[in-house]
Amino acid sequence: MERRLVVQGIENLLEISIFTILALFMLGGSITMIMSRQTIFSAFGFLVAMIALAGIFALLDARFLAVAQIMVSVGAIVVLSILTVLTINMREENLPYERHKYKWMFFSFILALPITLLIYKSATAMYESFKTMEAVTSKVVGKLLFSEWVLAFEIVSVLLLAAMVGAIVIARKEIPKHEIPKEERA
Amino acid sequence: MSPNLFFLLASLLFSIGLVGLVSRRNLFVLYMSIELMLSSINLLLATFSKVLGDASGSVIALLMIGVIAAEAALFLAMIVHIYRSSRSVDSDNFTALAQGKE
Repeated sequence: MERRLVVQGIENLLEISIFTILALFMLGGSITMIMSRQTIFSAFGFLVAMIALAGIFALLDARFLAVAQIMVSVGAIVVLSILTVLTINMREENLPYERHKYKWMFFSFILALPITLLIYKSATAMYESFKTMEAVTSKVVGKLLFSEWVLAFEIVSVLLLAAMVGAIVIARKEIPKHEIPKEERA
Repeated sequence: MSPNLFFLLASLLFSIGLVGLVSRRNLFVLYMSIELMLSSINLLLATFSKVLGDASGSVIALLMIGVIAAEAALFLAMIVHIYRSSRSVDSDNFTALAQGKE
């Protein structure tokens, strides 16, 4: 009995220390993201935050979500944004000149503090402990995704297709004019 | 381990994203702040999924990742387009709608 308690205490301590490390990485990455002047450093801060978020998902026993986060957010979104930053390749003197950046940050943080407290208080007022459940593996997620959430899944797939077409159209070099028929051209 | 820490982390991330969105003018930083706010909502969903013992929260978070990917593709395409047309990523340069100009 006593030995089980000790093992549980060690597990708890381990969980809290892993959470602390991941949370520090996440907060540090996101603060780097909004503070740094060079865009590429912001992108790297965002990368660190996304990887740490995947670790926190794994800590929450949402295994499939952690893998999806690594594959989509880190592997696609962050890489795409770093590639865009490098493609645009702004010189430092062409970046926006933000003289009052820290002043703005300070005041907007004071304004955002009540919102933070509101989210935190309203979330913690409802639930105080985790329910014991089995890990959310890909089997569970797949069953739910194709039974209960199948409509949302289809809508997301159509949305992704529309976003792909829209991104191609927006980022095209120039929109070609309508083709003039041959008889009018002569 | 109590879920309060996860809730605290999610609300802090949301407010950091909000601060970045309000106070910066670089379009890339605005884009990453929006992504960060969406990801903090994802974290909140995953935490609720574990608190309630229901895997549906994870499924909604998974669908949210798809929405985030769509948003990223469109936003980056728009940044590239804006940069090509005006050689700037400063959001203060794009006030044509606010001033009622062409």
